[in-house]
Amino acid sequence: MTRCDVAVVGAGPAGLFAAVYAGMRGLSVAVVDALPEPGGQITALYPEKLIRDVAGFPAVKGRDLVRALVEQLGRFSPRMLLGHRATTLDDLADGRLRLGFDDGAELEAGAVVVTGGIGTFSPRKLPCGEEFLGRGLTYFVRDPAELAGSRVLVVGGGDSALDWAETLQHSADVTLVHRRDSFRAHQHTVGQVLAGPATVRTNATVECLDGDARVTRATLRDTVSGETTEVPCDHVVAALGFVANPGPLLQWGLATHDRKIVVDAAMRTSRPGVFAAGDICTYDGRVPLIAVGFGEAATAVNHAAVRLDPTASTFPGHSTDGPAPAARPVGVPA
Amino acid sequence: MAYVITDACVDILDRACTEECPVDCIYEGDRKMYINPVECIDCGACEQACPTGAALADRMLAGTDAEWNTADNAGFFTQALPGRETPLGIPGGATHLGAVGVDTETVAALPRT
Repeated sequence: MTRCDVAVVGAGPAGLFAAVYAGMRGLSVAVVDALPEPGGQITALYPEKLIRDVAGFPAVKGRDLVRALVEQLGRFSPRMLLGHRATTLDDLADGRLRLGFDDGAELEAGAVVVTGGIGTFSPRKLPCGEEFLGRGLTYFVRDPAELAGSRVLVVGGGDSALDWAETLQHSADVTLVHRRDSFRAHQHTVGQVLAGPATVRTNATVECLDGDARVTRATLRDTVSGETTEVPCDHVVAALGFVANPGPLLQWGLATHDRKIVVDAAMRTSRPGVFAAGDICTYDGRVPLIAVGFGEAATAVNHAAVRLDPTASTFPGHSTDGPAPAARPVGVPA
Repeated sequence: MAYVITDACVDILDRACTEECPVDCIYEGDRKMYINPVECIDCGACEQACPTGAALADRMLAGTDAEWNTADNAGFFTQALPGRETPLGIPGGATHLGAVGVDTETVAALPRT
């Protein structure tokens, strides 16, 4: 059983900053997310877009904002439980809480901050070839360098597919497959891909993937002529987008309004010890912005700190006062 | 704060938007699609996907001739549709609900071209 002071459920911007604040308060923190990468909506929906409404950043690429938040969090040695879907939340006799995961793992925390955003993301699946997942088929590109020099099939017509095609086409042999005849991605990126070395197959769908230990080829079907062709490939990047569902997080008995978790001014939910921040929470007048989520995350964690230690102040002191206290090792109860 | 499918979708129903919506909140009527304004997260993926320009942000429709679509999209969920006793409400996903098969009274009455 892993123990921590604060468990943050959701590794989007609000959750990552909540974890930073927990670290600044000297609390041990764990961050859990169903996605294998941090960043939540930013990573899933717009990693390459420029965000222009984060205080202090005139413009910051989504991916870079996530990277900076992870870096800011790093010195507090958080336990990162990515790729784990939190499914249950139980009260323990001593007032602590226990999160249960889809793989049977458990996490015990003194307080929980739910920063689940628009819900649990799952990649939209290819209609075929799922058996090659992790054996050439991937929904994420963790590091473009790993694909350098190989034959890569990128599937999709939106921003993420075109972003990957553009990023990879300079170091790999890229074929971009899209079922329609036009792309929905930013025109600038589409232009770069069309003018670049990538092979572009529009009006084509992936009929099946084949291979042995790993994927070696894909069969494409032309949606106009019906003809099929085989394309050799070492990697298939299925960038068909994501579907988010808040369902699981709304099963925890927290008071909700229009599928959002109701919080008070201290970001408390209806369950003791459970706080919420970011786009999953609601209150009169809430504006769904990253900037707002950051503030809510700080409010939630500072109130969680007082729940964990009633003699503490909600005000954490100024971050400029000196080095933050070292976080206790993760897994060691208070 | 939501996107709206306007009457530019009527009798076209391309459905490209449904492949892009990250929260599965675009529902199929009989002659057009409808966005659930409570479930919509305002991401704009549908606007880019729609080949007929029918998916637009409600704030872009304000003050235009197409503004009525905003209330009509909402009404698809908040009012009992023809042949139904209760409103659809917040179904929590269009895929599992399937095509609803009827339109709002306003849309149903639009002339066919």
